[in-house]
Amino acid sequence: MKYMLLIYSRESAWTEEESMACREASSAVCHELAAKGQFRSASPLHPVATARTVRVRNGKRLITDGPFAETTEQLGGYFIIDVPDLDAAIAVASRLPPAAKGTVEIRPLFHLEGLPPERLAQRDSVAAAAETQYMFLCYDDEEAWNRAGPEALRAAMQEAVELTLELDRQGKFLSASPLHPVATATSVQVRNGKKHLIDGPFAETREVLGGYYLILARDDQEAIGIAARHSGARVGAVEVRRVVEMPGLASLGQATE
Amino acid sequence: MSHDLPAIIDSIYRAESRRVFATLVRLLGDFDAAEEAMHEAFASAVEQWAADGIPDNPRAWLVSAGRFKAIDAARRKGRFQELQPEIAGRIDQVASSNAAKAGEDIEDDRLRLIFTCCHPAIDPSIQLPLTLREVCDLTTEEIARAFLASTSTMAQRIVRGKAKIRDAGIPFVIPTAEELPDRIESVLTVIYLVFNEGYSATSGESVTRSDLSGEAIRLGRLLVELLPEPEVMGLLALMLLQESRRSARTTADGDVILLEEQDRELWNQGLIQEGQALVERALSTRRFGVYSVQAAIAAMHASARQASQTDWRQIVALYDALLTINPSPVVELNRAVAVAMCDGPEAGLVLIDAILNRGDLKEYHLAHAARADLCRRLGRTEEARAAYEDALALARQEPERRFLQNRLAQFQMRKS
Repeated sequence: MKYMLLIYSRESAWTEEESMACREASSAVCHELAAKGQFRSASPLHPVATARTVRVRNGKRLITDGPFAETTEQLGGYFIIDVPDLDAAIAVASRLPPAAKGTVEIRPLFHLEGLPPERLAQRDSVAAAAETQYMFLCYDDEEAWNRAGPEALRAAMQEAVELTLELDRQGKFLSASPLHPVATATSVQVRNGKKHLIDGPFAETREVLGGYYLILARDDQEAIGIAARHSGARVGAVEVRRVVEMPGLASLGQATE
Repeated sequence: MSHDLPAIIDSIYRAESRRVFATLVRLLGDFDAAEEAMHEAFASAVEQWAADGIPDNPRAWLVSAGRFKAIDAARRKGRFQELQPEIAGRIDQVASSNAAKAGEDIEDDRLRLIFTCCHPAIDPSIQLPLTLREVCDLTTEEIARAFLASTSTMAQRIVRGKAKIRDAGIPFVIPTAEELPDRIESVLTVIYLVFNEGYSATSGESVTRSDLSGEAIRLGRLLVELLPEPEVMGLLALMLLQESRRSARTTADGDVILLEEQDRELWNQGLIQEGQALVERALSTRRFGVYSVQAAIAAMHASARQASQTDWRQIVALYDALLTINPSPVVELNRAVAVAMCDGPEAGLVLIDAILNRGDLKEYHLAHAARADLCRRLGRTEEARAAYEDALALARQEPERRFLQNRLAQFQMRKS
């Protein structure tokens, strides 16, 4: 099963050295997972100060500076892994240094038919210095979708699939997936060497993370333009975050392609 | 023989349906599919056994039939549902690899199911109803009644728990030896909660509630059989020893009878002996914990033919051990009561007042009731009366309230 691990912690809680050590330790975990064919992708994200949040209402784009929700701990990075079950995902999450400082939220990916194949592994070899990697974090109101019914949800997902196919044709697509509902989330914290699990997401909000995209764009402007085309932007919100590209990490996912 | 078939299938259903279900959950990875397959397997047993006779191993037959029914169902639904290739693939895969061990693994499957329902990634408020529903086969209505919650609340929790197990990929496994100490705790907690729910409901209003204790003991026995760890034995012993006093601890009207006033002839000696043997086994490992020590205390009471023969000195020592493992004000309170029995009410009262003055247990009715009892024995009537009133203001259960009201009434009588 594929899982997304979302890394939440207080940005200010990390010194420069601690950040570097964390990246090294995380990268070691990635290499270990890759050796077992369990690694898909991972990256830190640029600080939330650089985030933009996009909503589309009545055909109009509403863009706000900053993340989707102001929280004391911020989303600082992600991992996507392919492991046999939740216990294995928890074991990986609890080994990541941020689990000891903040929270690692584990979300199972929802398998959506029709998405283009992932292009992340090729990213290292593509000398696309002119393009920056962005992550879109798609926040939805699950209740609103439940009320709208399965047909509306299917139509929105189909629209998202078409957007990814178009981006793929333009060479801008890297990866995307919806997540299972937030009720399937498990949050992991490690304190004094002891592992604590919480049934549920890192933060209880009305709009919840329902999926992600990883894409390439020339600049923030273009990224925001693409984000506004995601079907969920008309109902929920899309947070646009610049990805910190770690040299050598992207190609690790190759083994599993 | 054949005219008895419906009755035979009925009794097989009662004895085996949850075991068959547990195995199907493991094979299919989906509670709802397993429930449906289990019922279809029994339905086809009615037809096939009438024609071919009852198979040598009905359980294995039912598991095998259920598995094929599930494959059929997944293929039927598959044309319309997106998730189908995943499920059908999984069933085919497991079906071939598990064909051989379907029979022998079944008891383990029930244990797997308990660990799955009590997985720490599932909210504690969901673990309990989920275990009762999926492992013990109580209906949602029964669970709701037992916990005084609405059926829709309980149904929601159960549905959410099942969805989490399926979609988040919680595995159907008995944890490894190194994970076990962490994982066994929540399983034991859930079983003891089930027991207490059935045991503390002394009003006798609901049959379901005393059934809960029996269900917890059954799970406890199953656990001991499969995992003879000291704390697992300790919990079963504790439940058996408490259960042994069930018919002595209330009057016919449901009023509370204190331990020292119970008719010890009514204690169930069979349960006591089984409990005491388990306590000895648990303590001899020297790796015991809170349940074993509590069981040892219960065993001390059980071995006293009369209340006056109770070895209170030994009980105080056991509470000391309990305080080292699990320091808590409630344990301190119980220790204080035991000290009062050894060294006199004055000594116990000093300890209880120290707890209360610290600010602990102020809202706990039993702390005030214990204080009241010691004051009463010391002849400090006014203080006793005030403490009984404090206890009464905090007590919620009807039989306990009646007990406290009786004690207060006795003061009135003596006065007049």
